[in-house]
Amino acid sequence: MEEKSRKAIERFVAQAAGASSARIVDARLLSGGAVQENWLLDLNIAGGLHSGRLEAVLRCDSPTAGVAISHGREQEFALLKTVFDAGVTVPEPLWLCDDPAVIGRQFFLMRRIGGTAAGHLLAKDGRYGGNRVQLAERLGRELARIHSVRPPQPALGFLPWYEDAPALHLVAQHRAFLDGHHSAHPVLEFGLRWLERHAPPRDLVTLCHRDYRTGNYMVDEQGLTGVLDWEFAGWSDPLEDIGWFCAKCWRFGKVEQEAGGIGAREDFYRGYEAESGRRIDREAVRYWEVMAHMNWAVIAIQQAQRHVSGEENSLLLALTGHIVPELEWEILNMTEND
Amino acid sequence: MRDRPTGDELLACARQLLREEVLPALPADSKHTLLMVMNAMSIAERQLRFGDAPEARELGEVRQLLDDRIVSLSDGNRLLARRLREGAADPGAGGRGALLSHLRAAARQRLAESNPKHLPGDSR
Repeated sequence: MEEKSRKAIERFVAQAAGASSARIVDARLLSGGAVQENWLLDLNIAGGLHSGRLEAVLRCDSPTAGVAISHGREQEFALLKTVFDAGVTVPEPLWLCDDPAVIGRQFFLMRRIGGTAAGHLLAKDGRYGGNRVQLAERLGRELARIHSVRPPQPALGFLPWYEDAPALHLVAQHRAFLDGHHSAHPVLEFGLRWLERHAPPRDLVTLCHRDYRTGNYMVDEQGLTGVLDWEFAGWSDPLEDIGWFCAKCWRFGKVEQEAGGIGAREDFYRGYEAESGRRIDREAVRYWEVMAHMNWAVIAIQQAQRHVSGEENSLLLALTGHIVPELEWEILNMTEND
Repeated sequence: MRDRPTGDELLACARQLLREEVLPALPADSKHTLLMVMNAMSIAERQLRFGDAPEARELGEVRQLLDDRIVSLSDGNRLLARRLREGAADPGAGGRGALLSHLRAAARQRLAESNPKHLPGDSR
């Protein structure tokens, strides 16, 4: 980290924390994340409520970030604050610097959490995440807390609002994308027609994480340490998140562990129902698992397109496009009988 | 005419070398990168082995379904997509059986190239 930025961050933190001084004792850039940069920051703070050692993460846009569909730092901070206040286990958001002049980009600091998020590790190795009945229940509870955030939320005014049924809203979005894409996908069209014909009407609409799955939360040996990756959050049918979490395509090879490859579906549901006080309609979740495969297929095509278009040369993105056939296969399996 | 070994044979041989000699020598965090490379090679290998026959077959089916003898594969799929969207394969629709069996066949072929392990009764 450049000396100039370091000094600017120290001044910003000292002021935001109401401290007499703040000093960065260690700063390390984490790898990964083409759109955002994450810095591990260790700070010594003197005076104020945060006096002492602070282990934090600083998040900012990467200098080369192009147009992203995900939320900006200011919006991500507002989301984190909202769900933190709703009791969701997330890295505590500390201070937002919305003045891009300070280090050249907006940034915010959050308290650092420990653990691992790697989905394939969690599914393969039972040592991660502690007791799996408890972990599945806990993840159900956490999701119910996210869904306790209801519109209107003035701080979340940037989230797109719509009046149609969430399911039909998604169908229309996916069709619009496929119409503009260079090649047609008949199997996905068949699936979208099924999703249109079986779409549930608009009912309860809540804040949804919209990428709540194994791989996007952190655990240590004891259990959950935090829910991550809020950049796709939006208003939707809460069953969208439940279907996404349980869908076969997000079980990391552990197909029989129907709750995200890490636990039993009923354990996950029990936690959700206890926290929300609402019963999950088992049959209705099936619809949203079909939608999960569709959402993932469309995202995978978009990822591959980032590579194909030359925007970002990446074997990982290129291979993501080759996940689409297995998603299409599952969509046919789930929709061909009705 | 090309001499053997053909492209798919070269890829298979190169992949075997990577698996047997390079992979074991790599530190853990680089293994994942090589596995991605090998996966990309095996997709290319399978596409080469199948050649043009699957797309020719798909085109024949699409033309028959659309009753159009000259449409290209990409235009044909676009038209097919529109018909599916309008309900041509809904339960009770006359063309449902033929459309579904075409979608299955095309999906099976794509899967056979991209990830045959996912096929029921993997025929590899």
